[in-house]
Amino acid sequence: MLDKLQAAVSLGERLGADFVEARFDDLTLRTLRRIKTRNDDTWKDIISKSRTGIGITCYFDGTPGYSFTASEKNTDIEETVNRAFRMAKAASTAASLKLSFDRRPRVKSRPTDTLAMKIHPQNKSQEFKMDLINRMVETAAYHGKEIENITGAYGEMYGQKIFTNSEESDINWEFLVVDLHCRVTSKTSTGDLVFASKRKAGSLGLETYKQKENTPEAIGKIAGEFAAEQLDAKACPAGKFPTLIDNDLTGVLAHESFGHLSEADYVTIGVSPLAGKIGKRLGTKHATIVDGGIPDVEKTGGLWLPFDDQGTPASMTTILDKGVLKHFLHNRGTAQKLVQKPTGNCRAIHFGFMPIPRMTNTFFTPGDLTEEEALEKLGTGVYAIQTAGGQVQGDGSFLFKANRGYWVENGHIQYPIREVALSGNILQLLQRVEGATRELELWGTYFGGCGKGGQHPLPTGLGGPKLLIRDVTFGGQA
Amino acid sequence: MEYEKIKDALLAEVDSGLKFANTLDQRADFELFLYYRSESNVEIKQGVVEATDGIVAGNAIRAAKDQRVSFSASSGIAPNQIRRSVHNAVASLKATSEKDTRFKGFCEPKPPGKEGKFAHEILDLTTDDLVKLSLQLIGDMTNVNGRVLAAVECQRSWGGFAIGNSLGLQQASTSAHNACSAYAMAIDGEERRTASEELVTREKALDVTGIGQKAAAKALSMLGTQKLNQTTKLPTLWVPWAAASYVLTSLQQSAQGQAVVEGVSPLRNRLGEEIAHSSFTLIDDGQDPLGISTEAIDAEGHPQGKAAIIQQGILKGFLFDSYYGRIAGKGSTGNCTRSGGPFGSRLPYEHAPSIFSKNLEVTAGTKSQEDLIASIDRRGLLITDIPIGIFHSTVATGEFSAVANSVFLIENGEKKYPLDPVSIAGNFYTGLKQLQGIGNDVEITSLFVTTPSLLIDGFSVTG
Repeated sequence: MLDKLQAAVSLGERLGADFVEARFDDLTLRTLRRIKTRNDDTWKDIISKSRTGIGITCYFDGTPGYSFTASEKNTDIEETVNRAFRMAKAASTAASLKLSFDRRPRVKSRPTDTLAMKIHPQNKSQEFKMDLINRMVETAAYHGKEIENITGAYGEMYGQKIFTNSEESDINWEFLVVDLHCRVTSKTSTGDLVFASKRKAGSLGLETYKQKENTPEAIGKIAGEFAAEQLDAKACPAGKFPTLIDNDLTGVLAHESFGHLSEADYVTIGVSPLAGKIGKRLGTKHATIVDGGIPDVEKTGGLWLPFDDQGTPASMTTILDKGVLKHFLHNRGTAQKLVQKPTGNCRAIHFGFMPIPRMTNTFFTPGDLTEEEALEKLGTGVYAIQTAGGQVQGDGSFLFKANRGYWVENGHIQYPIREVALSGNILQLLQRVEGATRELELWGTYFGGCGKGGQHPLPTGLGGPKLLIRDVTFGGQA
Repeated sequence: MEYEKIKDALLAEVDSGLKFANTLDQRADFELFLYYRSESNVEIKQGVVEATDGIVAGNAIRAAKDQRVSFSASSGIAPNQIRRSVHNAVASLKATSEKDTRFKGFCEPKPPGKEGKFAHEILDLTTDDLVKLSLQLIGDMTNVNGRVLAAVECQRSWGGFAIGNSLGLQQASTSAHNACSAYAMAIDGEERRTASEELVTREKALDVTGIGQKAAAKALSMLGTQKLNQTTKLPTLWVPWAAASYVLTSLQQSAQGQAVVEGVSPLRNRLGEEIAHSSFTLIDDGQDPLGISTEAIDAEGHPQGKAAIIQQGILKGFLFDSYYGRIAGKGSTGNCTRSGGPFGSRLPYEHAPSIFSKNLEVTAGTKSQEDLIASIDRRGLLITDIPIGIFHSTVATGEFSAVANSVFLIENGEKKYPLDPVSIAGNFYTGLKQLQGIGNDVEITSLFVTTPSLLIDGFSVTG
């Protein structure tokens, strides 16, 4: 395939492109999902997919044109290059802001750029993976109460990514993400539905699910027990409270509300409120946010992304350093425009899309508190746990739903609380971060993911410690 | 591939793909779906241009035997790529003993419905045309005010899909549409206000006149917000774009046959009951000639149709594909999709069949938006964009809590000034009963919901 990509680069250059990138993805995806309800127990999804295709970017006068094809026939690849060049040329006439970039040294990947797994999912049968789900669902059923629905799901995506460009880069590595997820929905005596979920996901080998804390039984038990706990949970009072947000919610906050603002395409065109603020203090000394494709996956979890889809090797970029804005997340053009180094953040969800600045693993760095110390420092307020997502806007305002949590008084957990909305603006929130716990947990997902520019769901990694923040707004009920 | 040749070409591959599948397992039933679409779009964000033009092509097969069902998809529509999926689906089927006892077979063959109308000029739109239209949008926005940041997108899409199954069904459908959107951000010091306008149509080739100006003017009108300074219950007037999000996140989900069958929908036992104000009528019309989702057949080959969901406030029906339609004893309404709807994937063939509305349509009322504003004799809110968080409401209860960032105060029948973000909370279904008025300002939105403005009383607001 590399020779076909190299031929495509040469053709693009002959047509008149200033620079050409050619990439090939050969990915396998698998989804297994079992849904157990009061009346039914069904394997809802037994799905396998092969996602294979070529993407070509031609640059003309600092403007990209992109085309793609699922065909590996030479004539179709040539037509794809032609389309990409035509798009670039037409687009360049309209571009008033050009993002050209200088040549850099050729990049060549090494075998160690692919993570070594003890048990790669491709070496295990479908039955083995269905058994993981069965064990998880049955354990959840055992530990849950008043269960309406248990959804157990396993997902995997892995395969080869090949890249070359006008610099004759030669990159070949294998992507991998696996995801085992359990969600239990229970019904209260008044008919309300409550839920809890648990997952273990990231660039992991299946040996992970043999570790005591990550067995399907451990995951199912947590989902079942916490859904049962929710049966007696109370509504969270509305208002502003000191809050301890757990590792999951911290990750989503880092990614959704701050990470997107630091993506350099938004910064370059001036729509991000972070534009022009490098060196400015935006948060307290407890707020440090990092994004990078090469975390210590074995130690912290996360997603392994040693190269982006523009062939830039990954780095670990400190975006916000003890509250001070230091760096943005770049593709090659935005890095040159903003006079920063490329960060390896140019990613596409699949070959059907042009790569754009995206996050890799985005997280708050840990502090020095234990959970007990954090609760003590919290005093009276909310311990908010997990999120099924939320929505954000370009000015930094956000609304997230915490799946569950606890009401805390004088540093002691009092009672569980129901799903509740947290809202605010990240730029104000960063000024109220008062501490963080000392552990770092990252995860990367197959189910769900990041959405931007129509590209959803892109697997991304996120996480952090537990974060202590004062004056978080909860609820919206009058 | 030329537009006119898509159906024949795909049907020929469907036929040979199914024959190949039969050679691998003669006792299994198969369903083969092929998809081919030319997608072109140009985006300009503050002078930075990104342009894409490509062919989306893929295949998906479902294999079924003794109530065991598997699904496999691959990129491309070449015979070797189809065979890859077939091999995977057959292997997956062999690997499982798990049954789906509710599976009663693939879609029965029926005569197709009609394809929608479309302007043939859409097929001829070139990259240069899309660039020119995008520039026109930008020019129109910056002419309103040079301080407005502009992001625009113009796109055209044409193509088709074909389906065949072991029951003898072999059908195909083609369609084309084009669309544009203009997103404006007005900045004043640290204050940033955004607004967008859009047009999505199959009726004619893109004409972007007026769209950029409207987006820019809307964003500028949001500057200089004041606090509501109130926590109370107020009437809220949702303009069509915001009303579409209301309908999509509530009734689209609860009228969906899977949610009804699985017991998640709060509407599941309420057929024939009055669940909305008597002025409210909602249909899903998969045969509206100008509806963006209109096709001759749905994503499993069933003819698309027209389904009444709510008629004059009374719950009339739900949306089904053949799988859930059979379980419910209702039959399919032609609502099978493969990642359809407003948040659909660029590679829909990778998605297993599910249910989604086609073209949801709220019947227009008689009042203009101004009349609706004038009808509020106390304080009220005019919601001019999709409140953030609204899509994260709970289907099962209809409870929602969202934040309106584009919102104006209405006082004594007049639109006053823009407000700082206001939290809005309540229950979607209670809201439908508290409808105070329906506008005559119907818009087709890119949420695939066609609706006028809706005036609803009783939601809790805090700001």
